[in-house]
Amino acid sequence: MKLHKNWRGILLFLLPVLILYCAFFVYPLGFVFSVSLTEWNGVTAPEFRGVRNFVDLAGNETFRLAVRNNFIWALSLGFLQIALAALVAMILARRPRGWRLLRTIYFLPNVISQVAIAMLWLAIFNAEHGILNQLLIGLGLENWTHNWLGEIETALPAIIGQQVLYIGYFMIILLAGTMSIPESFYEAAEIDGAGILQQEIHITLPMLRGILITSMTLAMAYGMRHFEATFLMTGGGPANSTQVMGLMLYKMTGYLDYGHANAVGATLILLGGVVIATIRWLLSRGEAASEAMQ
Amino acid sequence: MGTRKSTAAIIAKTAKWAVLLFFLIFTFLPLLWLFITSFKTNYELLTAPLSLPAKWQIQNYINAFQLSDLHLLFVHSVLVSALSTALNILVASMAAYVLSRYHFGFNNVILSILLAGILIPIIALMVPYFKLISRSGLYDSLLALILTYAAINIPISVFLVHGFMSAIPKELEEAAVIDGCSFLQRYSRIIFPLSKLGVVTAGTFVFLYSWNEFIYALLLTSSVRARTLQLGIRFFKSQFVSDYTSMYAALVITIIPSIVVYVLLHEKIIQGLTSGALKG
Amino acid sequence: MRKLFIFGVSLFLILSVLLLVNSCAKEEEEIVLKWPCIWVAKDSKAATVGALVDQFNADNAGKIRVEIEPQPDYDGYRDKINAMMAAGQVPDLFIFNPDPTTFTYYQGDMLMDFTDELKKGGWDSWFVEGTLDASTVDGRTKTIPYELGLTPIWYNQALLEKAGVDAFPETFDEFWVMCDKLKAAGIVPTSQMTGGSNAWTSMLWYSHILASIGGPDVWSKPLSDPMYVQAAEILLRMYSEGNTTRDAVGGDAGVSGGHFLAGRTAIFINGPWYIGRVRNDAPDVYPHTGVAPAPKVAGGTYGGQIGFLLSNLAAANTDDPARRAAVVKFMKWMTTPENVKTISLDAGSLFCVKLEFSASDQVDPLQKKFMEASANAAFVVSHLQGNYPVSMINEFGQALGKMALGKATPEEFVQMLDAAR
Repeated sequence: MKLHKNWRGILLFLLPVLILYCAFFVYPLGFVFSVSLTEWNGVTAPEFRGVRNFVDLAGNETFRLAVRNNFIWALSLGFLQIALAALVAMILARRPRGWRLLRTIYFLPNVISQVAIAMLWLAIFNAEHGILNQLLIGLGLENWTHNWLGEIETALPAIIGQQVLYIGYFMIILLAGTMSIPESFYEAAEIDGAGILQQEIHITLPMLRGILITSMTLAMAYGMRHFEATFLMTGGGPANSTQVMGLMLYKMTGYLDYGHANAVGATLILLGGVVIATIRWLLSRGEAASEAMQ
Repeated sequence: MGTRKSTAAIIAKTAKWAVLLFFLIFTFLPLLWLFITSFKTNYELLTAPLSLPAKWQIQNYINAFQLSDLHLLFVHSVLVSALSTALNILVASMAAYVLSRYHFGFNNVILSILLAGILIPIIALMVPYFKLISRSGLYDSLLALILTYAAINIPISVFLVHGFMSAIPKELEEAAVIDGCSFLQRYSRIIFPLSKLGVVTAGTFVFLYSWNEFIYALLLTSSVRARTLQLGIRFFKSQFVSDYTSMYAALVITIIPSIVVYVLLHEKIIQGLTSGALKG
Repeated sequence: MRKLFIFGVSLFLILSVLLLVNSCAKEEEEIVLKWPCIWVAKDSKAATVGALVDQFNADNAGKIRVEIEPQPDYDGYRDKINAMMAAGQVPDLFIFNPDPTTFTYYQGDMLMDFTDELKKGGWDSWFVEGTLDASTVDGRTKTIPYELGLTPIWYNQALLEKAGVDAFPETFDEFWVMCDKLKAAGIVPTSQMTGGSNAWTSMLWYSHILASIGGPDVWSKPLSDPMYVQAAEILLRMYSEGNTTRDAVGGDAGVSGGHFLAGRTAIFINGPWYIGRVRNDAPDVYPHTGVAPAPKVAGGTYGGQIGFLLSNLAAANTDDPARRAAVVKFMKWMTTPENVKTISLDAGSLFCVKLEFSASDQVDPLQKKFMEASANAAFVVSHLQGNYPVSMINEFGQALGKMALGKATPEEFVQMLDAAR
């Protein structure tokens, strides 16, 4: 449909988005990329440095640690969290007893602010009076108690684990998708003698493919950008073991080192793009392959 | 069949309920613990964390209330979230409509540029955002937050809504043209309603984002007249320092309104998310 | 379509109204000075600072009005001011924490330069020796020294006695003996922390130990000096053998202070601004709190104290002479000795303005101990934070955590600090 006669409408409809986008994305990005090539303290004039900031970052052990952590975040959220969300969605789609109530409860944490949840988990993980350690002691497992957020081995898993298990948002989306699959498909499969597990694998998952990939993309993007929970709970510690790029960027801004801060930002954007594009390409190849096989 | 099937079925059923129960506990128990603990004294917190309080300390709540204008902050958060969502959805759906239904050459370019925004770590944009807001004289205003949140979420809303709008068959529109529908009418009467699932999904996302956001709320506002709920929560940490139970009382106060509103509206929200799917 | 249009127009109207309401420029002759301020809510200085501002506004009604914008988030405050300055938007009045990184702001024209006004009418004579010099860079004084930080070692006398310790030790050998006695009595010896933005308690300990080794010229020695490793070994020991709480690694000021206030740890470090909090929140601990210099390292100097400029007052530069005069007037009001005295008596804080207390003044007993400690100090030096860039101070907590968890040696600890500069 080449409705160019509607060019006025098209322009009108696109204009607000483009204006806001230019102001809040294009200009700031230009700012980030250009400052990343300089040394600037926010007060005096910036000094051009070329790519030396990036070279500095590559040699910075803490930065490499942060990049590694971001990858762990992206993969954990993209694969673990989505998998769990899909699992629960598939279970609830079969409408077991009380499924409506469960659905409501699972979404509840998403309605409560991130800040509150972070504070809540700080309380739970507290080494002295936190409920996690207290439960372990109560169960006689005192050896399993830890200073969860203060030990290198446990800090990162603790924060990631806590985030991964909050499946509410993606679960609701996947549930909606699952429930829109016509019953007839399952009935036919049942008649053919397929068990529940087989039904889920051969009917539900393929039909959810689009939504799954979308959800995974969103979750991974969030993982690469992750900032708030780490900022609120550990500040990157202990010993930089939970450091992420977003937090490093924030801290560098605090030292008035805008050149390196923006270099981190530029790296984050580029890396994130590469990761997501790669995963999507791999998954779409899988789709093409399975379609070819059918 | 026979015994084998029922054993497998029992295992499956147990596993299923184990999963559901696990997530139920994970979601619910911490909140319950927080609520109960907020009524204890700090001494009780340290010596008997798993028990019920000996005496329900209302004092903690009085301490918490005295500390900030929580009711005002709540109103601010609601305003900011609602208006930014409305603005964002309006603007994004308009763009998605044009990009999905009309092909004028630049479509994919514009779409790709808009979608690339999903990857941008907003935290990287602190200084330019601050410059933008302060230069336009919007510093320390709710409007600053409304515009910022609406703009930040354009990529994701366009992404979601565009996805749904693309799936609507062209024949519907062609029929509408024949019937004499104008450009705007095709948008408002046909395409927008049919992409309701996408719109509601995006809208929920934007609303929750705006509700929870706190870095830019901290950066772009200063006085109480523009402060949101999230900043109020953050302050408790600084202020209460080691008076943990009062801090927890404050947390509960900030959480309760969200829960109440959610409980009242959840049917609508979830229906909105699922109805589009069931109709189709 | 009509509905959409109406909706769009209403939205536009709502936004416009909000915009108008927000930018309602008060075109009055009154000069309004906005002050994003952290001395609010539960801060010990909140009541008296608020009262002083109210008094100033009353005395200058119609001409000058100072508006405090409460910023109860201490950590966020610094980031916020940084972002504002980077975007060229300096607040009318704000609180400035002097350290090597923030002195960057003296470059350029962002801050109001008080050098000339200070020389007029003897304003500079109100200030304690050395504080103005410490606030001056390249001959320009662009911030006014205000609150003084003096951070001796705090101890809970009652807990020490319970463990059979008579007096706070003067050498580190005695210190470790004391720790063993405390542990035997079921008391955790020290409060420590690696969290927050600067691992405050532990950073101060490190500064004290360094001062003990290096004496009055401690900060003239570079990072390669062996004293840094030596001090790290001592700090490491404070994190080992149960000499501190389990949650010290990763803990913040709430954790460290909380333990002392609850009577769980016997030794702590903080400044006089904390006196009000101890008095109000820990009435059991308050009467038993004493202060002392740090123990002496073998071969070191005893009796040094850590003292530094905690908070200075700063203002945005302006070409408007009326505005400038208003700011100076307010600064003078806030630094007038009688006014500063009211804050000091109520909060327990120490100031860079010379104060004289008479017998009739109700000086807080704990604050008196601070003043005595200051008067009796063999020498006073500032802390690590006052001598190294923020990037290294931020890394201090991370490096300390690594060392405390056994993943880095004291030598590696110092190397990490060096790399972060």
